[in-house]
Formats: sequence, structure tokens, C-alpha cells
Amino acid sequence: MTTVFLCEDSLDGILTGVYDAWDSRLGHECVKLQLQIDGNIELFCEYRTVCTDLQKAEKVLRTVRKRMGRNAEEAVCYAAACTDDRKADAIYRLIVLGLTMPDGKKAVHCLQNTSVLLVEKLRCKSWREAEKMLGFLRFEELENGVLYACMKPLCAVLPLIAPHFAERFMQENWIIHDVGRRQAAVHRMGGGWYLTDSYLLEKVNQKGRSGSEEEFQDLWKIFCRYISIEERKNPGCQQNLLPLRFRPYMTEFMD
Amino acid sequence: MLRTRIPEQLPVMEKLKILSDAAKYDVACTSSGTSRGNNGKGIGNCTDAGICHSFAADGRCISLLKILFTNECIFNCRYCLNRSSNDIPRATFTPDEICSLVMGFYRRNYIEGLFLSSGILNTPDYTMELMYQTLYKLRTQYHFGGYVHVKAIPGADPVLIEKTGYLADRMSVNLELPTAEGLRRLAPAKTREKILMPMRQVQNRMEENREELILYRNAPRFVPAGQSTQMIIGATPDSDFQILSVAESLYKKFELKRVFYSAFVNVNEDSELPALPGGPPLLREHRLYQADWLLRFYGFSAEELLSEDRPNFNMIFDPKCDWALRHLEYFPVEINSAPYEMILRVPGIGVKSARRIIKARRQGSLDFTDLKKMGVVLKRALYFITCRGRSMYPIRIEEDYIARNLLYTKENLPPQLQSGATYRQLSLFDDGMLLSAGEQPQAFPVDV
Repeated sequence: MTTVFLCEDSLDGILTGVYDAWDSRLGHECVKLQLQIDGNIELFCEYRTVCTDLQKAEKVLRTVRKRMGRNAEEAVCYAAACTDDRKADAIYRLIVLGLTMPDGKKAVHCLQNTSVLLVEKLRCKSWREAEKMLGFLRFEELENGVLYACMKPLCAVLPLIAPHFAERFMQENWIIHDVGRRQAAVHRMGGGWYLTDSYLLEKVNQKGRSGSEEEFQDLWKIFCRYISIEERKNPGCQQNLLPLRFRPYMTEFMD
Repeated sequence: MLRTRIPEQLPVMEKLKILSDAAKYDVACTSSGTSRGNNGKGIGNCTDAGICHSFAADGRCISLLKILFTNECIFNCRYCLNRSSNDIPRATFTPDEICSLVMGFYRRNYIEGLFLSSGILNTPDYTMELMYQTLYKLRTQYHFGGYVHVKAIPGADPVLIEKTGYLADRMSVNLELPTAEGLRRLAPAKTREKILMPMRQVQNRMEENREELILYRNAPRFVPAGQSTQMIIGATPDSDFQILSVAESLYKKFELKRVFYSAFVNVNEDSELPALPGGPPLLREHRLYQADWLLRFYGFSAEELLSEDRPNFNMIFDPKCDWALRHLEYFPVEINSAPYEMILRVPGIGVKSARRIIKARRQGSLDFTDLKKMGVVLKRALYFITCRGRSMYPIRIEEDYIARNLLYTKENLPPQLQSGATYRQLSLFDDGMLLSAGEQPQAFPVDV
């Protein structure tokens, strides 16, 4: 009989699940990790709900880093940010493989293994999404000088992109708001950044913008229009590289 | 001269319209090649891979605020929109206007940095001096740490170019046209020597700077992201082989990071320029970029891809496929044992999948299904590879056979190439096809 561990849909949730599943000593073949989402329940399965524990998660991630290297750590973190039902189990299998191999650092290269390949695919997917978001995010200056940006990415990339902006806009106060997941990253001038629930931010959208905001937005729209060459017009190519789903949040496509 | 003088106090909005419109024919909009943290005082950093912030309606990336300092120009290059004999609105930014634009855009995450080019105002020295002042203000007064790409003006004082290079990340001098002869015809004020001189200077200074940096880690960095150049394709009758050879020698002798190709867009009515009824030669530009990648990342040389006898690229097959079809003696390649360099030469396998193959085959042998999952384009690759000694299904290693099969999976080609070149299933009721073959419409023979 298979025992299914239901984990929370977050990096910490999945890593806690990995810890609990391993710790249950049922044998790797007899356990399975799943996300806590409504779905079909299988017969002849025992379901256990995993209670997210930051300490357990930290332990697992530390072991992965030590035994399997930075690449594996990154792969696990990025894959966990994706929306895919199979990710929890794939991450578990990758970690099992890495910790049972003589050299765990080679586990991420075993692309013949379906779980490793899936983790790699998911890593690529959220990496690409994060990379896109680094460019496509648009800040607006509020009355009080705070920079505010909202986005709706497919993967939970907020914690992945926040360090980039913390470095870039070190001397600014800024907020990045993930509208779909109701999460926000907040950064204070010269300090660090932290993740928070975004219920406090619902009113920000009605708040006034600073005096120069509209002017800069207009300048940017004009620039984007004039920089394109009419003779080479290629909306298909543009849409490939900049899908429509990003555009509602981007200044140059607002009207 | 027909030039209308525009008053200096034009609003910034108007200037931006004029000067971004004038800068759009410059190709380079990359922000890659340098990695730098925030300096702690100001704003900005650079990432090695570069970041695209938007895409314009022509599908080109917008990464940098690409503007001219001025579109006034003393030269009269025939292909250029800003040539002195054109009657167009002219404008000139002030250094402060550029700085405030860059800072305003950068804070809102619109751009990765600045791309500053310019027409020649008064003299090359005078223009270069103004551009230097702009960068100096941006870096010291506004503490801007983002990416800056600046054009070196041919003919400007080497001291000015050197000073500017310490403030910029990337410098470039436009080669404009692939051959000296074309330059003489279309841009009489510029010569090949004048263009190559600053290029050589930047190269030498970069080399010295590398040694300084080994000795003193914190020595100021000179053009850390390297230099690039661009040439116009299709304005002169140069062949692809000439263009690619020029690019190859630029990579080898001048250590350029990138050579950009820009399909010629006819903006001036001029008897010396070709008329392009079919629009700019975009497919030719595309083929050149593909070949450029083969030079830089795939270990090909220009002579392998083209020769004096075959001076132009095949428009139907990409350069790599074309090479493979003409060199079937190297194929098939055994995926589980071939060296990396050879795997890289298989059509349908790129740098990424070649690396994956090398890493994965150490852990166990690979089969076609594994390759498929790793991102190899099997419909192209299957004619050139074997896995564990067998090919995917029985194929003939023959040029005609492979070419015919590859054509079904070809990329999007312009319509005039799509017809004619391919084989199609004959349909009895397809009148249009019979007509296009040059035959008279005729009654269907009854006895068939």
C-alpha cells in the first residue's frame, strides 16, 4: 500500500514533505508526495497531511546543498516555484537519487531519469518566467516616492526576483505585488526585503501617483512607438517574445 | 542647404521623438557581457546575461534607451536618414536631459541602461566631448551604475575616446558597409582606415587594462563588455562570403564581442542605392546571423560555410544544415561516443542540448527518446545521428533523400521560396498548380 504525503504548495511545504516521507521509513517505493489540492483520491492509499515545518525544510535544503551541490539546490527551489502537480514527487525522487548516488553532484545531470528531467524542465520554466519578469516588471512612483509594481506571473517567482531588485534599487523604497498569489515583497531604503501577505496593499492602486509619473510614462510610450522600424513590422515575433499575458501590467501597452 | 534650424528649447518629448526615431536603425540593443554590483551610493547594477525590458512592434528587443545625442550631421552618407542634405527636423539633447531621462526610466525598470550614438555636430571632437560630458555626469553626479553603450566617433581625438571608454560598458564603431569600395561609394566622407583606427585603439587599451586589472583588482575598468560593430546588408552588391569573411576577421583580429548585421532599409531616394520592392532583405540578414553564431559558438570558419564559387547562402536551408548536406562523409555521428565538437555540428542539436548530451551520457547510454526529451530537434537530427549504433529508422545517407525529407520540416520561408522549391502531393483537382507550372488549362482526359 502506498502512503501519500500531502504537502503545502510551497518550497518549505515540499521540503518538509521530503523530510517526513523519508523519516517515515516506509521505503521510497511505498511513499508518494502530492500537493494539497483537490483532486481524485485513490483507493488503497493512506493519506497523511504534512504540517509545514521550517526547521525540517531548512535541514533538507542544507543537505541538498552539501551533498548535491548548488545546482541541485537551485533546481529544487526553482522547480518548487512552478505550478505543476507532479513537482513534489519529482523533487523527492531527485533528492533520493542524489543522496544514494556515490557522487550526489551528478544527480542533476541524469536526464535519463524521468523525475530528474521533470525537475530540470520545471526549473527551466520558472527560470524563464523569472528572467522575463526581471525585464517586464514596471514600477510606478507613488506620491510619497515609493516605487510600486504589480505582476501576475505563472510561477511563484516573487522570492526569486526580489534579490535582484534589492541589489539594483538599494537606495529606494519599493513594493512588488504578486496580484495572483496575493503576496508582496517590500524593501526599505538601504535595508533588506521581506515577503508579506498583500491584503494591506489593496488600496495602493487607488493611491495617487507622483507629479512626474505621468510625464515619464508618456515619454516611455513615445519611445517604444518611435523605436520600431515600420518596414520590419512583425507582431507575431513581438508576441512570441512578449506574450499578451504580461501586457496588462506594462506601461507601454496601457492606454 | 535645405536644413531648417530647430530652436534649442524644444520640449523633451519632441526631442525624444526625433532622436529615438533617428536612432532606431542602430541594431545593437544588448545589455550583456558585464556583471557589476551596486556601488552602494546610487542606483543600478549589471547582469552578465543582460535583460530585455520590452519588445517593439518589429520584434526587436528594447533593453537600452537608444537615442542619438544629436541628429545634426556634417556628413552626407547616402544611406543615412540624418545625412546633411535631408530636410528633416533636427534636435540636440543636453547632457542633463539625457541624464534625467535615463534615471527616470531606469528607476521604473523600463530600461537596462543607455545606448548613446550621435550624428556629427560641428566636428567629431566636439561631438565626442559632449558625449563624454553626458556619461561623466551620469556616472559621477547621478551615480548611475547601469549599462552604458556608447559609440566612438571615427576621427575624434584618441584621448577623448579613451576617457569615454572608462565610463562606458561597451563601445562600438560602426563599420557601416562590408567593403572599402562600398564605403567610398555611399559614404565618401568615411574611409575604412578612419573607422578601424578607433576600433584598434579600443582593442589595445582593453588589452592593457586586462593586465592592469590582474595587478590591481580595483583599477578602473575600460570597456568591460567589449566592443561591437554593425554593417548594413544589401545596400551594396557584396556577397555573403565577403561579409562573413569580414566578420570573421573582425572577431579574430579585433577581438570584437559581436558583429551586427542590419538589413538595409531604404529611407532616402538616391540613385546610388538599390530599390528594394520586396522590403528589407530580412531572410539574408537572418542567414548571416545564423552563420555568425556558427562562427562564434560552433567552431565553424567562414571558408567552410561559403566559398568563392558559392558566395551566397542557400535561402532554403540554414547554413548548418547546408554544410551538413554537403559533408555527408562526416555522418552519421554516434551520440554515445562522438566528441563534443562533432555533436555540435549535427543539425538540430544546439549548444545547450550538446552539453546536456555530454553530461548525461556519462551516467548511462542515451537513446532517441532521451534525446527527444533533452530538446534535440529529432526531425532534423535523425538523418545525421545514430544511438548505440542504430539510426532511428532505416534512412539513406544521400544528399537528395535527406534534403527532400528536411524540406517538409522547414522553417517559415517567404512565399516565393515555398512554391517551386518543394515537392508536393499532386492533387487531381488543383487547377492552380497546373497553371503555375506554365501549362494551359485543359480538359481532363476522359480515358484516364
